[in-house]
Amino acid sequence: MTLDLAVIASNWRFLLVQGLLGVGAFGGGTLALAIPTIVLGFVLGIGVALARLSARPWLHQPASLYVLVIRGVPLVMVVFWFWFFIPIATGVPLPQYWVALVAFVVFEAAYLGEIIRAGIQSVPRGQVEAAGATGLRYADTMRFVVLPQAVRNMLPSLVTQFIILVKDTSLASIIGYMDLTKAAQTVNQREIRPFELYLFIAVVYWLLCYGMSQGSRALDRRMGAPARAAAETGP
Amino acid sequence: MPRPFLALAYQFQWSILWTSPYGGWLLQGILTTLKLTVLGWVLAAALGAVFGAVRTVPSRFLRGVGGVYVEIFRNVPLLVWMFLWYFGVPQILPAAAQEWLNRHNGELIAAVAALGVYHGARLAEVVRAGIQSIPSTQLEAALSTGLTLTQAYRLVLVPIALRLIVPPLTNESLNLLKNSSLALTISVAETTFMTRQIESYTAKGFEALTAGTLIYLGLCLGVSAVMARIEHRVAIPGLIVRGGGAEH
Amino acid sequence: MTAVGRRIAAAGLALGVLLAGAAPALAETTLEKIGRTGVFVVGARTGSPPFGFIDKQNNWGGFSVDLAKMVHQNIEKKLGKPIKFELKESTPATRIPLLSSGAVDLIAGTMTITRARRESLDFSAVFFVTGAQFLVKKGSPIRGVQTIAGKRIGAQQGSTNEKVLREKYPQAQLVVFPDQPAAFTALTQGKIDAYTNDGVQLAGLKAKAPNPAEWDVVGEFFSYEPYGMAMRKNETDFRNLVDFRLMEAIESGEYQKAYDKWFGAQGEVPYPLSETARIFLQMQVIPR
Repeated sequence: MTLDLAVIASNWRFLLVQGLLGVGAFGGGTLALAIPTIVLGFVLGIGVALARLSARPWLHQPASLYVLVIRGVPLVMVVFWFWFFIPIATGVPLPQYWVALVAFVVFEAAYLGEIIRAGIQSVPRGQVEAAGATGLRYADTMRFVVLPQAVRNMLPSLVTQFIILVKDTSLASIIGYMDLTKAAQTVNQREIRPFELYLFIAVVYWLLCYGMSQGSRALDRRMGAPARAAAETGP
Repeated sequence: MPRPFLALAYQFQWSILWTSPYGGWLLQGILTTLKLTVLGWVLAAALGAVFGAVRTVPSRFLRGVGGVYVEIFRNVPLLVWMFLWYFGVPQILPAAAQEWLNRHNGELIAAVAALGVYHGARLAEVVRAGIQSIPSTQLEAALSTGLTLTQAYRLVLVPIALRLIVPPLTNESLNLLKNSSLALTISVAETTFMTRQIESYTAKGFEALTAGTLIYLGLCLGVSAVMARIEHRVAIPGLIVRGGGAEH
Repeated sequence: MTAVGRRIAAAGLALGVLLAGAAPALAETTLEKIGRTGVFVVGARTGSPPFGFIDKQNNWGGFSVDLAKMVHQNIEKKLGKPIKFELKESTPATRIPLLSSGAVDLIAGTMTITRARRESLDFSAVFFVTGAQFLVKKGSPIRGVQTIAGKRIGAQQGSTNEKVLREKYPQAQLVVFPDQPAAFTALTQGKIDAYTNDGVQLAGLKAKAPNPAEWDVVGEFFSYEPYGMAMRKNETDFRNLVDFRLMEAIESGEYQKAYDKWFGAQGEVPYPLSETARIFLQMQVIPR
């Protein structure tokens, strides 16, 4: 079976510019989805972590339930839920991008929240008490003392989860979002050369994820590998 | 408050979930999910144990081989692997092999291969962390009693490591179970596929998705419960690996 | 246990919220919705040439898309303001929920009008007539429904063809694919012995295949497939708008022009309009 690299030569621009970056007539884009998800997921994850650690049951219980349900269900399910029911709930024909973004942020925040929670718990209680003794309120303690240390402790696990997140964005192709995977499927419809096309995008994903993991290792070395707490990692 | 919008009033009809043939479809879907999970797990465990152990041996070459396997397979999304195994690999196989696959449920084989090899790479990291967390004195002691390196691994290190890694192993097993849903993209009729099937026949999306969600929650709770019992029974007091988990 | 109790309570809350959202009390019509949002969203195919597909220049268009654009013109006229035209991918498995959830306003693709579907949706007048057949590799022993026993036959999830095969021809081994491109790739690799879909769509696949001479469309029509554009139920105004625009197009020759563009001798997928079909379309045009 001969390899036909011409199909890559004539379509790589579409695959990378439209599929990876999201620049083009179809919107979409793997990075255009992944980067905002990382940012928003991280922010929501902090909220989830704090809620789970809160003593107030009206914060603690919904947060725990949310994490329990999200972690017990495949990402594909969560995506289908949001895809079918966001339009009903909001009454507005939301562009696909926003549906995908919300679904991914809600999903990843559950996992990121757990990592951050473990990070917060790894900060010695003495720090919190000392902060309280100097007159800092809860919010300021969190912002200036606990969270920075928590994030520093959990940085390897967080970046690991970010890499998982980038891989997870490939599932957006299932609902028709024009990411790298969907772009390859689109070209394959015409050309019927699955091996070459999927191998190409596998290489692109590989460069992206391996690059991120190498960057994470470099970051690790520079920061002196602080205590690795018991964060469970996601899919 | 959600804006009332639908001109089409959604009429709930939960009974479709247990009327035939939809109820039967769901059961078939669950069986297929379990089949994918178990077969995938067996393959992943075998690959993970071998390559994980290989990553801790003195030989740089062997460590490198293990490293290549892990780095290649875990840095590419599982969905892409599914397509490569199902559509891509047969393209380069000889015609006779393709024929055989087509006659023998090639979809399932490809899905199991994708799941097993991908999660094998992740399990290899878990096993590696487990072995590396065993104090080196154990290995030295084993070698000093006259065991060869391979025997030391097989009889001492790996068994201990397996008992240590139950928590991250549980996590990975759950991930494998959830990832089995991706097989729907290559026409494997597992649970999520069946919920879409029911929905396309009956237009009752809410009921179908709820059924699917509850099934996965149930399966995950089941697996967690079983693994928790196992952890309890095989735990070595004072030596639980909690971190160094599956990486990505 | 409390965990289970919590879960049930949360599910009940979610159910309540959704039921409230789905209440028909203050239902908005499709035209009102389009006017309010300023967007007309159409569900179209991406892998069904020439009804809806992405061409070599990666442009999305097709015969059904052109018909939807004609409807769009009349929507703008009726509402008296510019409305954005947006396409969203729909497949047999996803088009009904996309419509009923409000994510799209019209399905303009390859949807067969059936009585069962009319229970939950409305359809425009018929804009195309075809029937189900099989796509096979040249030289295949399969010649029609009589010769499919024991063979692996591919179909799209949610299509009428899948249903017919499952219900009427269980002796064939049905393999269900999430979409047409996956099914066609599987056919090229011999994973399935034949792929069933409506004859015209198979002609389109064959015409656009890397090597059209390798493929044959075989078999008598084993089902009748009249295509219509689908919309939400009980929308007389919107349905009239769509139907009248279709009739205008047939009367004025616009329909024929579009037909020739995609199905004519120089078109993407040559598929001559049969005399029966032409008369049928003509007779759908009711007097003003």
